Amino acid sequence: MAIKTETMTLNMGPQHPSTHGVFRLVVDVDGETIKRVEPVMGYLHRGSEKLAERFVYTQFIPYTDRLDYMNAMTNNYVYCAAVEKLLEWEIPERAEYLRVITMELNRIASHLVWWGTYLLDIGALSPFLYAFRDRDHCLDLLNEISGARMTFNYMRIGGVKWDSPDGWIDRVKEKVKVLRENINEYDTLVTGNEIFQSRTIGVGKLTKEQILDWGISGPLARASGLKMDIRKDEPYSIYDRFDFDIPTQEEGDVYARYKVRIAELYESLKIIEQACEQIPEGDIITKKGKRIMMIKPPAGEAYTRAEASKGEIGVYAISNGKNKPYRIKLRRPSFVNVAILQELLIGKNIQDLVAIFGSLDIVLGEVDA
Amino acid sequence: MFRLLKGFGVTFNYFRKKKITIQYPDERVVMPERFRGIHRFFPDKCIVCNLCVTACPTDVITLTGKKSEENPKKKIIDTYNIDFQGCILCDFCTEVCPTDAIVMTARYNNLSSFNRSEQFKDIEWLSDNHVYGYYEESDRVPEMGERGEQK
Repeated sequence: MAIKTETMTLNMGPQHPSTHGVFRLVVDVDGETIKRVEPVMGYLHRGSEKLAERFVYTQFIPYTDRLDYMNAMTNNYVYCAAVEKLLEWEIPERAEYLRVITMELNRIASHLVWWGTYLLDIGALSPFLYAFRDRDHCLDLLNEISGARMTFNYMRIGGVKWDSPDGWIDRVKEKVKVLRENINEYDTLVTGNEIFQSRTIGVGKLTKEQILDWGISGPLARASGLKMDIRKDEPYSIYDRFDFDIPTQEEGDVYARYKVRIAELYESLKIIEQACEQIPEGDIITKKGKRIMMIKPPAGEAYTRAEASKGEIGVYAISNGKNKPYRIKLRRPSFVNVAILQELLIGKNIQDLVAIFGSLDIVLGEVDA
Repeated sequence: MFRLLKGFGVTFNYFRKKKITIQYPDERVVMPERFRGIHRFFPDKCIVCNLCVTACPTDVITLTGKKSEENPKKKIIDTYNIDFQGCILCDFCTEVCPTDAIVMTARYNNLSSFNRSEQFKDIEWLSDNHVYGYYEESDRVPEMGERGEQK
């Protein structure tokens, strides 16, 4: 006698803790196998792109903070760089160095949050505390220079808002040493752990073709063997002056993504060290940039992109010669990366759902914008 | 199995290290002097130029001016309100202010209330808002990054 079976529809979210926000997955399961996945997003939609049309150019900067709030510095940068491209301004050297140092510090903070919360999702509690301790080192430094711990609002069109306070560069150098020691500790704590490895190796494999088809970028692409990093491919700001590698892995599974992100932490530390050595004295903002309400780019359009911690972030700005942008289009890496779920999860076990979903490292502020 | 024990080794090592946590309500982090906390307003310095109202991205500042009694050519501030329900503490109002009449303190913990209407702060509250931080008038100015027992 055949047992009567039927598929069951499960709603994961919008309040599921592993989504780190409000994100819903409608999952059809047959027993323990996933048959269909439908990501539902928009619970955090604020209409950032439309809001931009209402503001003068500078006023939109705090709103870019609130896209990917884990890695707000890069968002700040890429918006300012788009407007600077419209204006064709030269940015002072010191400002560029300060931008790079803060962006890389923020990348470390963002990867540490992923590291901690991902392991929390798959059942290890203590790494979360280690990660947040070290993230606090980064946030304290960013707090001193920008005046906020997460929504920095630090960069301005034409430079940065503040110069570094006294002795800040030295403190960064010290903290880099501390962080390097602590990240070594992570390897001992987690990377070799058999339980963690059996949970992640071979799970959620992404092929190169899938990466290219779905337009995925960032650590996900690098974990599948694609050597793409905008910091090297199309160096923005002053990234061509630093010596660093792009860590890649061939396997494309969750464990490979983990290893890529850990390796990226070391690369970011390397960049910060070099930037702290090279940083010159000088202005931090152009003369015209100081008048923040008076910025009026000529008519035209510009697209800039940068390597955020989640992937490629881009801003497409259209100006019609007035003091407010005609249109701002944001290319948000989390939004693009999360789309792969509907293909990646089919045929997988329901137990692997959180392990795969967490490894994508999405931030809901950015998915919904 | 060996790697698992190695991981435990890291954890147990922390028993002999210094504590890094802060017992929050008893000790509080003193924020650095640039910290963008709750505003403070200096009515004497204000020249009623309306720049902060223009610069505010969320339109939470409202102000009115009146003619000064001593000098009829001069305008002085009459009312100044910030609606903290919408304020995102972006610092543009202090950045554009030509006379530094509105500044941001390092204070971050005096806005919670049971009533939404209490988030609407007027000129008296804003000019009275000095507890600690960069703009405090007492002798003690906290050092940057210092963590101490401020109450």
